[in-house]
Amino acid sequence: MQKTSAIPPSDEAVVRAIAGGDQESLRLLNSRYGNALAAVAERVLGDRADAEEVAADVLWQAWRQAAVFDRSRGSVGAWLMMLVRSRAIDRLRARAARANLRDDPAVSTDAPDATFDINNAQRRHVVQAAIAALQDSERAVLELAYYSDLSQSAIAERTGLPLGTVKSRIRSALIKLREGLKGLGD
Amino acid sequence: MDHDQLKDLLPLEALGTLDGEEARAMAAHLAEGCDECEAELRAFREALAAMAISAAGAGPSDQIWRRLESRLPAGAGAASPSMQDRPAERTRDRAARIGVSRTWRVAAVAAAAAAIVLFVMTGNYANQISAIRADDSARIAALGRQARELAAELDDRNRDLAVLRGQIAVSGQLTQAVLAPDARMIRLAPLAPAPSAAGLVAVTPSQNHAVLQVAGLPTPPPGKEYELWWIGAKSGPVKAALFAPTAQGDATVASTLPPAGEQLLASAITLEPAGGVDKPTGAMYLKGAP
Ligand SMILES: [Zn+2]
Repeated sequence: MQKTSAIPPSDEAVVRAIAGGDQESLRLLNSRYGNALAAVAERVLGDRADAEEVAADVLWQAWRQAAVFDRSRGSVGAWLMMLVRSRAIDRLRARAARANLRDDPAVSTDAPDATFDINNAQRRHVVQAAIAALQDSERAVLELAYYSDLSQSAIAERTGLPLGTVKSRIRSALIKLREGLKGLGD
Repeated sequence: MDHDQLKDLLPLEALGTLDGEEARAMAAHLAEGCDECEAELRAFREALAAMAISAAGAGPSDQIWRRLESRLPAGAGAASPSMQDRPAERTRDRAARIGVSRTWRVAAVAAAAAAIVLFVMTGNYANQISAIRADDSARIAALGRQARELAAELDDRNRDLAVLRGQIAVSGQLTQAVLAPDARMIRLAPLAPAPSAAGLVAVTPSQNHAVLQVAGLPTPPPGKEYELWWIGAKSGPVKAALFAPTAQGDATVASTLPPAGEQLLASAITLEPAGGVDKPTGAMYLKGAP
């Protein structure tokens, strides 16, 4: 897998190469998604070093399970995001039982996959427009639900909103987001 | 609750925030296999993933790579094309990279899983069984996930150990076979399909041993294995051993002895359907005469 090829490999091609044991492709997957994985885990856990460990766990799982990745069940991005959310939440729960050792975060030097980033910038623009179209109250409850381990009842308790309002806000927010992303392709 | 009511709840399901009766009804409905709800759920999950990826933006990932790199097998950078679609090969090759760090990593996984088991158990006692809510089923699902991963990890390790033990046993046999006074060596020369391959068969009737060592063989495509043959003057080709090489193309394999009382003309290796065949059908990779 050459980083310099004119057309960057699709996420699916990268995962296929990983299934064949190609470490360079794993590095490429990390440059595409590593920071996003760590960012989600960091919002759940509130700690960058822990978050990077979770991101590494997810990529390690991707390395081991690449061969069974099934595109018909969702995109590579959605797969990785589901894994990281579930692992970060598992870790949050495990924290209740034990204290975690932490590493000192060091300064970063790597450059992300530039071509992919340009294509991705356009995509991100569309997604950000869809998020911007949400009302603040919708976005707040959607993000609380996504980055926490709270059930709808717990969210209602936490925010002081009636349960019905929590449900309808999450629903309308996610429906708007999905509509805003239609035609984006993947 | 029917399909229409549950469909309205799919955004909450995508976030994993449903609880109580709604969570149970949703799980049951999805388990029945509703294609429409499945597709909707997928679309909501994609939207959430897009939101999360977009919120993160581009950023550094070298720290993550550093953590990841230490877990990867050393010196196995890029895969040969023949390794594509053949992840089982990696498992076989694991024998090469069992190390202390891996043992400790598995121990850490086990410890984490144990901590979660404890956490869930104490949680359940504290709440009393009457307080089991849909949250618990999510927790149990997470626990189940952990347990499955752990079981897969242990399976991997057991396979690694079996491979290692097998290789050690066979290497010992090879040394013994080569050192025996009546040892007979058959050097196998490469043929067109694998010009850089090499092989050696050591036959030691006194010890009831025949051992094959090969190097430089390509990874067989899915559904294929290599087969070693004795080619006798009267019997023609007789099946001797079946094997798949490591990702590096090596193998050390214990084989049956050549047919007793038969004049051995040659030994050869062909590529055959997995499980082997009684007479050679595929391309010949290596061949040699005593
Ligand atoms: Zn349905």
